[in-house]
Amino acid sequence: MGVSGWFRFKGRSLFSWAFTFQRLTGVVLLIYLLAHLTYLSTLLDKTGATYESMIAITVSRQFLVFDILLVLCGVFHGVNGFRIILHEFGIAYEYRKPLLAIFTVIAVVVWLYASYIMYSLTGG
Amino acid sequence: MESTKSVMEPVAWIFQMLTGLVMILLVTLHFYVTHMTSHEALKYAEVASRVAQPEFKALYAALLLVVSFHAFNGLRAILLDTTAGMRKKGAVSALTMLAFLLAFIYGLYLLFSI
Amino acid sequence: MVRFKIRRYDGKKSYWQSFEVPARRGMTVLEALYYIKENYDSSLAFRASCRMGICGSCAMKINDKPRLACETQVLTLGNTVKVEPLDNFKVIKDLITEFDGFFEKHKAVKPYLIRKDDNYAEPKELLQSPEELNEYYVFTLCIKCGACYSVCPAAATLDECLGPAAMTAAYRFCADSRDEGQKERYEIASSSNGVWRCHLAMECSEVCPKNVEPAKAVQLLRRKTAFSILKSLLRW
Repeated sequence: MGVSGWFRFKGRSLFSWAFTFQRLTGVVLLIYLLAHLTYLSTLLDKTGATYESMIAITVSRQFLVFDILLVLCGVFHGVNGFRIILHEFGIAYEYRKPLLAIFTVIAVVVWLYASYIMYSLTGG
Repeated sequence: MESTKSVMEPVAWIFQMLTGLVMILLVTLHFYVTHMTSHEALKYAEVASRVAQPEFKALYAALLLVVSFHAFNGLRAILLDTTAGMRKKGAVSALTMLAFLLAFIYGLYLLFSI
Repeated sequence: MVRFKIRRYDGKKSYWQSFEVPARRGMTVLEALYYIKENYDSSLAFRASCRMGICGSCAMKINDKPRLACETQVLTLGNTVKVEPLDNFKVIKDLITEFDGFFEKHKAVKPYLIRKDDNYAEPKELLQSPEELNEYYVFTLCIKCGACYSVCPAAATLDECLGPAAMTAAYRFCADSRDEGQKERYEIASSSNGVWRCHLAMECSEVCPKNVEPAKAVQLLRRKTAFSILKSLLRW
């Protein structure tokens, strides 16, 4: 079947979407972690000039959309991951459908709130 | 059917869950410090003074440890889900764990040289 | 008239073929397939046996969802019915898929009672309370139709993956109070192809025609497996 088997949604329930998003956001966050560590190498310049010039880009208005998407990845991965851990410990397996709905709503609310804060911080 | 007992797998599974739970707290805290109050916290002087405090140093070291483990163990799980990855199971486990250690050591080096 | 779009495969090429079937109330997809075979194309190949959802032969993808053809009524599906073989299995002909690997995995988890006092000359009764039966009863309902395996994302990319059905069978016997073979089965389940490949997509529980809840069985098996390994580690 190949990796396309992770992206088949026809006739599937929302659980398959959650699984695929969890996997995709995980990979995105792994790449971000590497970028983040590379980025922090600029701190080695003790004058702070390299770091300040880089941070000016990331807190800029144009960069906000990437930041917001990244937060979506992080929030979804965390909230959905917590739901999965509950089930892995055998908790609330019978309530998996309402839990999926509730946790998705939580993820979206947290994401919108965080996006709003970041939007206002960049001078919105 | 191969049935060799693996010690790596259950340990990795439990740590993946534990680090996940710890990360919910630490990443939220990290995000709160850098983005929720004001972007002043991202100024070089602010970062340097934060990192100089032992509490923050410990917090960042812990965050670095759990995040890099969770990330590379997650990558390992994804790779082992494929026939190609499973054929080179030993190499996949060794390389991802090596990457985890490298990321952790490099991060520590940054943390202690600022 | 209901239009049947069937995914055919003749060993070389794969193609769609359509048939018009006069549907009656209560007619199942399996009956419709027999109608096509008798009236239009006798070369249409599909597996079926009991016609009453107990043999597990006729699982196929009907309108994108794996279901038992014998338990799905045509008139609940609309004017067009799409019938395809199951995913994650090799297609042999038309709707018939290769189940040898699936049954091998089932055998591999030793799905039978293992007792230290096996004595066929003097068989003795093994007693069990209703509570002990309830521990595993729901997992005995599996009919090995392969629907769970066909939607498992781990099985999609890993041929050797044990899959939900085999692991459910493993847990069904491990949770049986009469069984004494837990250790052997935990060892099989703890292989890299076993419980660790489950990441809770939980689609298996969604498609199971018998509501066996394979996803739950895999979680319970994984917890027991992990703790049995960790215990044996700490004792060392």
